[in-house]
Amino acid sequence: MSEPLDALERRIAELRAEVRRAVKARDTSLARLLRADLRRAERAWDEAVVTEESAESGESGGRGRAEGPGSAEGPEGAGPLPREAGAALMPIREQVHQALLLLGVPTAAKLVVAVNEAFFAGGLRSPQLSSLRRDEERSFRSDPYARPYYLCAALTDRLSPARGLLAASTWPLEARVVGPLSPRVDFLTAATRIAEHLARLAEPPPGAVRLLSRMAQNIPGAVEGGFGPVDPATVVGAARAELEVHLPADTAQRAEVAARAGDQLTDVERLFGAAALSTLRGAC
Amino acid sequence: MSALTALARLRAMREGTAQRITTVRHCHVSDRPMVFVPVKMAGEAAAPLGAMVGTDPDHPRLLVVPQPRNRDLRFAFAAELAEVLLPYVEGFQKATETVERKGGEPYERCLEAPQLLVPNRPAAEFTGLLGRSTRFRRADGPYPVHPSVPLLGRWLTYFADRSRQPGSSLLLAATEALGAHWATGQSALEDANLAALLGWIDPPAGTTGQRAAEEAEDPLLWPPAGPATDPGFDNEVLAPAVQAYEEAPTDRAVARVAEALRTQLEPTWRLMWRSVELLRALPEGSRVAGRWEADRGSFTRFVERIAEGGPPQARRDGAVGAAARLAGLERARASYDVQRAYDDPLVMAEYRLTGEAFAGVVTAVEPEHFEGEGRSRKLRPLVTVRTDDPVRLAPGAAVGSPERRGHGAEVVEVVEVAGTGADGVSGAGAGGAGGGPVEVVLKVTKGMGRGKTPAPGAVPEPGERVCYTSLTDDFQTSAALPDPEETPWTHGGPPEEYVPGDDDAQEEWE
Amino acid sequence: MSRLDDLRGPVPARAHDARAIAALAANPGCARRSLLDAAGVDKDAAARHVGFPAPFGQSQFAITRGNVFESLVKENGCAELLRLLRELMGLPIEQVGYRDVESVGSHLRASHTRALIDRAARESEDSAVFYDHPLLSLRIAGHTSYLEPDVVAFRLGGRFHIVEIKSFSVIDGQAEPEKVAAAARQAAVYVLALRALLEELGHDPELVSHDVVLVCPENFANRPVASLVDVRRQLAVLRRQLARMTRVDRLLEGLPEGLTFSLEPDADGVPTRSAGELAEALRRVPARYAPDCLAACDLCMFCRDEARGCGSTDLLGRQVRDQLGGVSGMDEALGLAEGVREPGEGQEEISRLLRLADRLHRECVA
Repeated sequence: MSEPLDALERRIAELRAEVRRAVKARDTSLARLLRADLRRAERAWDEAVVTEESAESGESGGRGRAEGPGSAEGPEGAGPLPREAGAALMPIREQVHQALLLLGVPTAAKLVVAVNEAFFAGGLRSPQLSSLRRDEERSFRSDPYARPYYLCAALTDRLSPARGLLAASTWPLEARVVGPLSPRVDFLTAATRIAEHLARLAEPPPGAVRLLSRMAQNIPGAVEGGFGPVDPATVVGAARAELEVHLPADTAQRAEVAARAGDQLTDVERLFGAAALSTLRGAC
Repeated sequence: MSALTALARLRAMREGTAQRITTVRHCHVSDRPMVFVPVKMAGEAAAPLGAMVGTDPDHPRLLVVPQPRNRDLRFAFAAELAEVLLPYVEGFQKATETVERKGGEPYERCLEAPQLLVPNRPAAEFTGLLGRSTRFRRADGPYPVHPSVPLLGRWLTYFADRSRQPGSSLLLAATEALGAHWATGQSALEDANLAALLGWIDPPAGTTGQRAAEEAEDPLLWPPAGPATDPGFDNEVLAPAVQAYEEAPTDRAVARVAEALRTQLEPTWRLMWRSVELLRALPEGSRVAGRWEADRGSFTRFVERIAEGGPPQARRDGAVGAAARLAGLERARASYDVQRAYDDPLVMAEYRLTGEAFAGVVTAVEPEHFEGEGRSRKLRPLVTVRTDDPVRLAPGAAVGSPERRGHGAEVVEVVEVAGTGADGVSGAGAGGAGGGPVEVVLKVTKGMGRGKTPAPGAVPEPGERVCYTSLTDDFQTSAALPDPEETPWTHGGPPEEYVPGDDDAQEEWE
Repeated sequence: MSRLDDLRGPVPARAHDARAIAALAANPGCARRSLLDAAGVDKDAAARHVGFPAPFGQSQFAITRGNVFESLVKENGCAELLRLLRELMGLPIEQVGYRDVESVGSHLRASHTRALIDRAARESEDSAVFYDHPLLSLRIAGHTSYLEPDVVAFRLGGRFHIVEIKSFSVIDGQAEPEKVAAAARQAAVYVLALRALLEELGHDPELVSHDVVLVCPENFANRPVASLVDVRRQLAVLRRQLARMTRVDRLLEGLPEGLTFSLEPDADGVPTRSAGELAEALRRVPARYAPDCLAACDLCMFCRDEARGCGSTDLLGRQVRDQLGGVSGMDEALGLAEGVREPGEGQEEISRLLRLADRLHRECVA
């Protein structure tokens, strides 16, 4: 290996040690500076090693196959890289909307991502969804009802936005508010919708079957023993049976909250929720 | 922990260097051991990050999992480990000897057996978990793995199980092996750090053991010996490297993770071989070979079990199996303790301290002493031993002696020596109940031959230094346990024979 | 309490989390630690300032794993947890209510938790099963510590249960005993805090079960498994130690006038007092070092160094100390063993044993 690479490696090792010393001493600003130096050194090493490699007629300088199972293909290991190209054709908000329409209930980002992965383009990631609601709210405020739909919040019985749940503005208010029973009702409903959608497909995607199997584990009677794939019809039956127990109470609770929301909230609040102390009211 | 070991630790503290607590080595050290230093991902039960493994100190094999959360990469790691470990283990299976048995068929036993060396107890446990997570896998079905993976799992499980057996040397944890022979001036908890322990035992020239141990606690200078890694390393070095692999799984990204792990594993790799040298330098105890023979026998039986197509080890023992296993462990523990004492005066000294053994000088012998009349008249030579040790053996107690194999005697009486008091040469701490020296009269019952007079050398001579102890190695063969088929219903009834099913083979390893 | 405030100096008291409170019970005999904790001194910062930073750190891999597992157990309205409780405790099918306390905003969590728990205890008809992200509080030696149990579950046999979600695995029915013990100690703190809350609200504190629900991943997968852990013993230990802390007055009595462990920072955030001064102040309060401290106390490296300085046999661990029959100094013990020191009163027995051990040792290595 050439001189500059050796020197860089020594430098990298030193910097790593210094970074860890700084972190241990809780000196975060120093650690950050050192880390930046480290990144620079690593990048320089990367570049130097490529130059050297091409000089050595493209021999891979690494340790070869034994340590490089770069073929991470497997049942779970489908890399995100090829997918992203296809996903980019459709804006994130539309992909989320697509998943929400399938599910029909206020849903956490994680399940939205799972449904997108199972049935649609895939390639959505939870962090991409975290700012979505805020962006939608900003858009609505600047030009209300300009879009055919908004991705909005679900409202708690205190009329505040429920943490982490996404909903579609086109749904009636009763479907966008949540009471204490609603998380369970919505979970069972989501499972039903996924099962029904699966049953309609000639070739159910394996990812979707896995998603439904996982959900079915948590629904009494939805899994008929053993391994094997779940039967969508069984899942629908089991979920409906439990739903019957909760629906009357949940519907009543939701109607009550929805009525209050309709009476008390402004348009924006009805979609994006009232701040806990109603500070928003003055703001708009 | 005996007062002797406590004292050795105090001395280590004062001298700044570790003290020997044995005069000989009590474990087998193979001519060609395989050192295995695994590291795992923090927060996961059995997610390997990588390992350094091999039989040649100068050429370790570095195995790396560039993304430890990826199950396929984990199984690729297991397959690679199998590539190293299985040929090593199989290398010992060919050469066998025929062992004759009293009242039984002769059987074959491998002439040599493999020996796996890991840094510490958690590494031995991790070896077991790796075995547990791979031995039920299958080469076909929904989550196929390389055919070597389940076999590897069975061997790793075997080694880890065996390492819980006192006296077995098939898998040794370096900190335990070293700690059984040296006392340091720090606590047992701190001894679990291999670099610190070796710092005490073998400090670099010009520094004390305590200084060396202190330095060894800095993870930047001496990375932990695994399987847990240093959190600082995880956060600052490994995580960015794994992230880079995640973003672009290129050879270079793999090399980066590999280099990161190499910095953590290489120091321990060297310490492991240093440990081997240190242990080899100790003279081997005379009963070590016998225990290694038992290890070879166990190894041979496991080889046969695999060759016969037996199922992998069950997830859990049945009630009878568990009881038998516990009884077996207890017997092995007791037997190992006794054997060590017989092999090693420093270990025997612990029993002299508690009065279960004594050493002294023979003051009188009556070699042709007989007991009984007529046909039942028996040769029972009498031996009187004077000792300063606090003897706590009652008349009638059966005793043996490390100096003479097969020799047995019985305590006749213990007499205080008149005229000497606590102001004797040996001062405080000497003597029997009264604190002074005592004379123990023994009659020899075993090992003096069949003649009218004792075989030459079978009875100690006056003036000879001897040691006697009530410890014996002939334990009850086994507690009376029913056969597994007769397990009472209170203990779950007869266990179903363990047949690993699809559940086992398809168990997730996320 | 003003004396304690003096000890801490003009900096905010360090709040204890459940882990720290559980650790209080680890070495109750240590006056240094009791005092620093009672005064709310930041022991970690103090240790760093005197040049003996604690050797603790957490890997981001472990943190991530913990977070991922917790969110898995809680997602979809605690669907996994619901299954586990239905299996484990026969929770009836209609009991599925879920309330996220955090939805009110973090500044109102404590009062919202209080209101919800009060309502649940009062009219159990309308109560939910799961209270997610609750915030409890516990008064410790005059300071309020805020505690965040993973989930509080209600209506399991009509009682509240603390649910503790941990990401260490249960493999073939076995988990690492130390980890289970640590989880139990931590959960006991939550039980205590929730009982205190119920009592304050005028309800029966026994409405909180002493069985906590421990949820862990099973084998090598992420699938959770639940078990009940009885924490009565941990509760008793904890109560005892907390009571001791409120009797901290006795420790205060003997302290020198003007003693302080203040870490008051200057404009750059560096403590104004020198490291030497702080170390001196710490040494004025006796510690009881034991090797176990290395796993539990931020000050451990400082105290170990101090124990080394005076040749204390504490360094070698309890097993050695037990053998030495309470002889606490290395020189003293070796002096007795080697016969260069006369046994003091009550030391005759241990002295005889040590001398015998020393004789046997010399005999064997000669």
